[in-house]
Amino acid sequence: MIEVEKLTKDYGPIRALDGVSFEVRKGEIVGFLGPNGAGKTTCMKIITGFLSATSGTARIGGQDVVEHGVEVRRRVGYLPENAPLYPDMTTREYLSFVGALRGIPPDALPDRVRHVAETVGVADRLEQEIGTLSKGYRQRVGLAQAMIHDPEILILDEPTSGLDPNQIVEIRALIREIGRDRTVILSTHNLPEVTATCNRLIIIHRGRIAADGTPDQIQAVHGGGNAYLVEVLPAKDIRPEDVFRGLQYVEKVAALDRPDTDALAFRVEARGEADVRADLFQACARGGLTLVGLRRDRADLETIFQRITLQ
Amino acid sequence: MKNILTIARREFHAYFGSPVAYIAIAVYLVLLGVTFFFKIPFLLPKDGFFEAKEATLRPMFEWSIFLFTIFLPAISMRLLAEERKMGTLEILLTLPVTDTEVVLGKWLGAVGFLAVAVALTLAYPILVVALGKPDVGPLVGGYFGVLLVGASYLAVGLLASSWTNSQITAFIAAIVICSFFTFVDRVPEALGIHAVEAFQVMSFNHHFRSIARGVIDTRDLVFFASVILGAITLAGHSLESRKWR
Repeated sequence: MIEVEKLTKDYGPIRALDGVSFEVRKGEIVGFLGPNGAGKTTCMKIITGFLSATSGTARIGGQDVVEHGVEVRRRVGYLPENAPLYPDMTTREYLSFVGALRGIPPDALPDRVRHVAETVGVADRLEQEIGTLSKGYRQRVGLAQAMIHDPEILILDEPTSGLDPNQIVEIRALIREIGRDRTVILSTHNLPEVTATCNRLIIIHRGRIAADGTPDQIQAVHGGGNAYLVEVLPAKDIRPEDVFRGLQYVEKVAALDRPDTDALAFRVEARGEADVRADLFQACARGGLTLVGLRRDRADLETIFQRITLQ
Repeated sequence: MKNILTIARREFHAYFGSPVAYIAIAVYLVLLGVTFFFKIPFLLPKDGFFEAKEATLRPMFEWSIFLFTIFLPAISMRLLAEERKMGTLEILLTLPVTDTEVVLGKWLGAVGFLAVAVALTLAYPILVVALGKPDVGPLVGGYFGVLLVGASYLAVGLLASSWTNSQITAFIAAIVICSFFTFVDRVPEALGIHAVEAFQVMSFNHHFRSIARGVIDTRDLVFFASVILGAITLAGHSLESRKWR
């Protein structure tokens, strides 16, 4: 659906994007994650044709965004950062204006405006001037204009920035809802946003892609290997380390100091990628150990994100 | 074409939603009225309409053009500068419209506004026709010329507005360019140079006077058409240059 190849963008001497490549398949909701100034917005502006790349290409549905600008833009709905809308127009006027330029026939336009207004929850603000709307409502109108032509692809630049926590929850739910049958790229520097709305995440740092995959994959790759935290009750004559070391897939065992519990805690590292929790459970049972705690030990996304972007 | 009209309509309505437009029209009409009827020593040594006892609107047209060099840049300054500043340009240019459609639509919307302002001066020709027997040619030609000059100023103003995100900068740049190319025909006189023609060719005033005589000359039409098309094309390029910055 979206193919980006070696995109590079220089603003004067500053390189904002440095050889970014990725592909987005139909139906994915992809979150661009990165600190401010990482290149997320620049990348979106290039995909939507507002800016041109210094080198590299972006294609949507196989069509180059520069050569087939108008055709590509027909298929894409775009909400820039901060939802810049005309403050002097009412919601209805504005959505009708965008709808008309999107090529919706005049007789279908009023229905279409009403429909998207209902979808994003601004139907009761249709006659209000956009300049007098609250930030949350403006953001919704911004979403409405991006999807007025029922696009296959939605590109949303920080759709929840500046909203209060309740509005954030609502907008996220809305994005999940409208993302069901669409391809969505959204950017954010807020981590919970990605885990709440996206099924794939691309971490951009200093103009490069630092990580790409589902939250699970990213945790597996960047989260510190295949390790487990195991807690067992102390048992006479059995050294738990020996039980774990006896397993052929175990690479390393370390006893952890856990003064808050009576149980003995260990960090067990396994070879390979496979999840060995079931095996560990059975090994404990066979070895006569009472297992009271078992979970994968890996850095959460927050830690990974910080580790990557503070480098 | 449909897109151009959609954008033009929005611009046109935007003018009547803001007080600036009403103030600009009011100031234009008041100043025009004052200069039409009254003789002001030193400042306006020409006779007022009633004293001159001439069934002509020439002084009014000339004053219109002079006022336009300030009035129309105030109208055109927001066209692109404001959109840049507010970021709304980003949505507009990522819709399936071309940059050319955007600049043409914006210019056309402003010309619509100009047409309203000029239509509000129609009381004067009615007065002239009621009181005397004016030549129809100069009357119609004068209005036509005023509209052409206005449309050219707006194209120049649009170009100035495409250079910056500051409306004031766009305003001043447009005033400077418009007044230069309006009054450049007086340069030879002021400096005592003989190359009159060279200066006249590029003067709005000169071409306006020619049309205002009631004679439509292709050379004048070509002049205005090239100014308008040239400025709009350059404005389109200037919009497109955002991509490479």
